[in-house]
Amino acid sequence: MAHPSQLGFQDAASPVMEELLHFHDHALMIVFLISTLVLYIIVAMVSTKLTNKYILDSQEIEVIWTILPAFILILIALPSLRILYLMDEINDPHLTIKAMGHQWYWSYEYTDYEDLGFDSYMLPTQDLAPGQFRLLEADHRMVIPVESPIRVLVSAEDVLHSWAVPSLGVKMDAVPGRLNQTAFIASRPGVFYGQCSEICGANHSFMPIVVEAVPLQYFEKWSSLMLED
Amino acid sequence: MSLQKPLMRGMLGKRLRFHLPIAFSLSLLAAIAFKYAVTEPRKQAYADFYKQYDATKEFNAMREAGIFESVRPSEE
Repeated sequence: MAHPSQLGFQDAASPVMEELLHFHDHALMIVFLISTLVLYIIVAMVSTKLTNKYILDSQEIEVIWTILPAFILILIALPSLRILYLMDEINDPHLTIKAMGHQWYWSYEYTDYEDLGFDSYMLPTQDLAPGQFRLLEADHRMVIPVESPIRVLVSAEDVLHSWAVPSLGVKMDAVPGRLNQTAFIASRPGVFYGQCSEICGANHSFMPIVVEAVPLQYFEKWSSLMLED
Repeated sequence: MSLQKPLMRGMLGKRLRFHLPIAFSLSLLAAIAFKYAVTEPRKQAYADFYKQYDATKEFNAMREAGIFESVRPSEE
């Protein structure tokens, strides 16, 4: 989850999010390169009494300041496209979960083998136990097996929502009447938090997503218990 | 005694020849500094984390701390 005074991304919990982190570092490095150049030129321009009114054109400089930015854009585009195609690879998911957005909660359906479904409401602040996170905890978490490719089919029952978990590098709009697919792998066990990412009414900020990644045998025990309930 | 002829032309060129190499060098330096101060350490940190990572041990520690809802601590 996010922590106070955080500046960067949350720690990655999936391979795709790690790649996105490294790409962001690469793009930010290029941003600093260009910003430093522009800032230096601005300071140099304002710190002189000299003016020049007689330059009309220069083919040489026009070529340079076209080719150089094009080269920089290619430097950004190549890793970007690499990650784009990486995210689209055939990933043969072990499990498919449907995440349905409602006003104002999520419901999860595990229908691969049996019919398991439950709603996930935010825990009200007054009901939180010590150590739990305000506005992020839910009464029922989406439990998944760790290190398994998971497919999530996202849709909505009423208005637009968006299913997002930053540390897993996932965000997918929940559109009524449409099934959107996303996939991820949780690299390590843990609890990962997200929040609805498309304005959906009064309680848009109060329908969090909680994903719990546990080893397969515990996931199987949990799903059996949930079915019994 | 005669005065020295003042500089009449070429001031922009002189200024550019002085400042542009510094500007490009500084910006390259900023990029290299960011790469070796942030980008590479982050890549290394992730590599080191997963090199020594024992998922079962970490899971058990988190389980005993009561973090999970699907798996309660072993005494419960």
